[in-house]
Amino acid sequence: MLGALFYILIFPGFLFLVFSGLTAEFIDRKIYARLQNRVGPPWFQAYADFIKLLAKEDIVPAESNPKMFKVAPVFALTAAITAFLYIPLWGKEALLSFNGDVIIVLYLLTLPTLAFFIGGWYSTSLYSRLGAVRSLMQLFAYEVPLFMGILASALLADTWSLKEMVVFYTAHPWFWMFNLMGFAISLVSLLGKLEKVPFDIPEAETEVVAGGFTEYSGRMLAYLRLTLDVEMVVGSSLLALVFFPFGLNLGPLPGFLLFLLKVLFIIGLISLLRTVVARLRIDQMINFCWKYLVPLALLQILFNLILKGTLLR
Amino acid sequence: MHDSKDFKIPIGPQHPALKEPEGFSVALKGEKILGVDIRLGYNHRGIEKAAEERTYVQDIYLIERVCGICSHSHSTCFVQAVEEIAGLAVPNRALYIRTIIAELERIHSHLLWLGVAGHEIGFDTLLMYSWRDREVVMDILAAITGNRVNYGMNTIGGVRRDIDAQQAEDILKALTILEERTKYYIEVATQETTIIKRLSGVGVLSREDVLRLDAVGPTARASGVKRDVRADDPYAAYAELSFEVITDDHADVYGRTVVRVKELMESYKIIRQALKNLPTGLLTVRAPRKIPVGEAISRYEAPRGEDVHYVKSNGTEKPERVKIRAPTLANVQAVKHMLRDRYLADMPIVVAAIDPCFSCTDRTVALKEEDCARAKVINWQALHAFSIEWYKQQGIDFTELNKKLQDRLKG
Amino acid sequence: MTQEEKIKESLVNKFNYLSVSIKIVRPRRISIEVSLDNFEPVFAYLARDLQFSHLCTITGLDEPEKLSFIYHLAADSGVLINLKIALPKSSPTLKTVTPYFPGAEIYERELVDLFGAKIEGLPSGHRYPLTDDWPVDQFPLRKEWKADKNA
Repeated sequence: MLGALFYILIFPGFLFLVFSGLTAEFIDRKIYARLQNRVGPPWFQAYADFIKLLAKEDIVPAESNPKMFKVAPVFALTAAITAFLYIPLWGKEALLSFNGDVIIVLYLLTLPTLAFFIGGWYSTSLYSRLGAVRSLMQLFAYEVPLFMGILASALLADTWSLKEMVVFYTAHPWFWMFNLMGFAISLVSLLGKLEKVPFDIPEAETEVVAGGFTEYSGRMLAYLRLTLDVEMVVGSSLLALVFFPFGLNLGPLPGFLLFLLKVLFIIGLISLLRTVVARLRIDQMINFCWKYLVPLALLQILFNLILKGTLLR
Repeated sequence: MHDSKDFKIPIGPQHPALKEPEGFSVALKGEKILGVDIRLGYNHRGIEKAAEERTYVQDIYLIERVCGICSHSHSTCFVQAVEEIAGLAVPNRALYIRTIIAELERIHSHLLWLGVAGHEIGFDTLLMYSWRDREVVMDILAAITGNRVNYGMNTIGGVRRDIDAQQAEDILKALTILEERTKYYIEVATQETTIIKRLSGVGVLSREDVLRLDAVGPTARASGVKRDVRADDPYAAYAELSFEVITDDHADVYGRTVVRVKELMESYKIIRQALKNLPTGLLTVRAPRKIPVGEAISRYEAPRGEDVHYVKSNGTEKPERVKIRAPTLANVQAVKHMLRDRYLADMPIVVAAIDPCFSCTDRTVALKEEDCARAKVINWQALHAFSIEWYKQQGIDFTELNKKLQDRLKG
Repeated sequence: MTQEEKIKESLVNKFNYLSVSIKIVRPRRISIEVSLDNFEPVFAYLARDLQFSHLCTITGLDEPEKLSFIYHLAADSGVLINLKIALPKSSPTLKTVTPYFPGAEIYERELVDLFGAKIEGLPSGHRYPLTDDWPVDQFPLRKEWKADKNA
């Protein structure tokens, strides 16, 4: 009982995630700043922002639906944190695991976006509603390639469980290289989920101010921002696990360090990508996802099916 | 949701896309823009009326403050008109120095624009880079004139500061750096896929529309209209310098970007020539305190387009009338046209593409006009009460909130 | 013959009454004064036939017994014509030039707000540049209007 509580509340659960999420935000912002020739924030900036927001007044717009407005951020954060419990950090064991947990993780990662939509929609401000509709529209575009990219890797391992995938890829050490295209597709789709340039359309400040987040303030805004940070960690961890499943039998400490390196690498890639491109328009974004990412993902699946039929027979 | 007919989203007077207060009310259907309603005039400072109540010399500094970015443009345009009325032969060296400052100002303005454009399309890296490089030209301007903006270089009959040999050398050094960076920006702007995707085909303004709607500056030139006061109606030293009028026939925001970055290269060329041929001689001729009766209109190619000043004198030391038409006012009509049937996401960049400078645009009327709607002097309490009333009429009631605030202050 | 003289000649040929009021001020600057009745044909001829394709702006003047308006028309050759009309202060009514230059709308609104000109045919729209609740009988750029007195 105590052990379970420790797992859920402290490590690798809530506290660890808050810590790593805010650190990830700092790393992302620092890399982004350095690439743009800026100094960037000090290491405690993300924590300071978070703590300051917690101390601020929560303003609920009179026109909004207060229940939905208040529930959405908590709901989003909970979903993102829960997703993390299914991801094995090192070795093969996650806190929770069953056959089909890949689907659960992806599903739980979709929920924050839905919560953003609900929160934005029930704020009733024009900008919020536009932002909310945009995040939902975007969801339908990036979710499919993201699912397919991860599915391709699972298909090769012939399992729906993250644990089983780890077992498979440890047995076939170089097979992860076949999934590199899937990784690229999933990484780009992840940018959409994290609402980062070029897919920061739902919160494009020059168009819709802050999109669905416009009316949020204080603690609820802190939760929303933390959700995005946690999502970044969870998403990167998932990609690290699914696409770079090597060195997983090193034991706790080296395994954990290697895992951190992989996650850092992915966060670095995210920062780099958002430095070198401009924001797309929503129609261009949807076009791009369906015209390029989905066919490429299909190609990866096809490739993996052929691999399975030949190499693994 | 709302009926699509009344789904109107306010962009401004305060909005992250706009750097200055100006109201756009955008009617939307989904993401598509059905129509745009522009309300100008939030920035009125009464400069034209104020100019009538000041002497010519005071007016130079007042008019310089019409706009921060193109301050030299406005002051040069004004002194040119006054000099024409007074029949002053401005020394050649002064004309060359005016030209050099004008082109340095164009460089800083265009680099500023490039950064803003990047920001509007969510490409903050471009913003950070071009604003960093803009510091090079800002430093040069500060070294020559003492200020980063509002240079105070002009006076009636000439310029107030010289450019010495050391400064000339510094300018040339800076130009080498800037030229290299500009080449890089030309490459980025013409090759980076997401930039091209966001810019091309957006905010199309055909050649006919330019002529119909009287657009000026890079906005007009990007639609293939060769309209540049520097070449058509040369002033300062432009008649003696050789440069190309950059035009482009993309007729969209992409074209406007290309025109601006290429114009940077022309500006470097102009400054190099001007420094090389900088004549020796006086900086100013003596101007009379009272300007004889007359009138003159002066045109000037500001970074944003043609700037027009009309001055009428009445034989005293104060002008009878000063009329200023800033380039943005000429271009703002075209914005409405450019936004038709576009997406909301294009709105910021289309507006930014004319390089709007609304504080230039709104400049007329009386000094206290925001408050004098009730035709009396309004003190702070009265203004406070007035604002509460005004918001009540708009359906926003602060009474409760104010009461709470008062209680909290007392308690 | 310079281009300015050519323009002058063709204008005088077309409209005899202009021979007195047309002046070449300096190279690339011509000024013309016309009466209200003759304004429209002259303006149309300049804009359509002589290719003065750019209306720089419209200046209003309080002179102070009458109101004058100057239309600054520019051609691509760099020649700029100041076409001036004077109206009595009691009824400063003139026709819109928006059929020729739709972009002139905002310049004409400025004349309405600041000088109290009445412009026939001006499309309805927002005020410019004054606020919506500015008194309708106050015209700030008229000479009798003083900032201190009215503020």
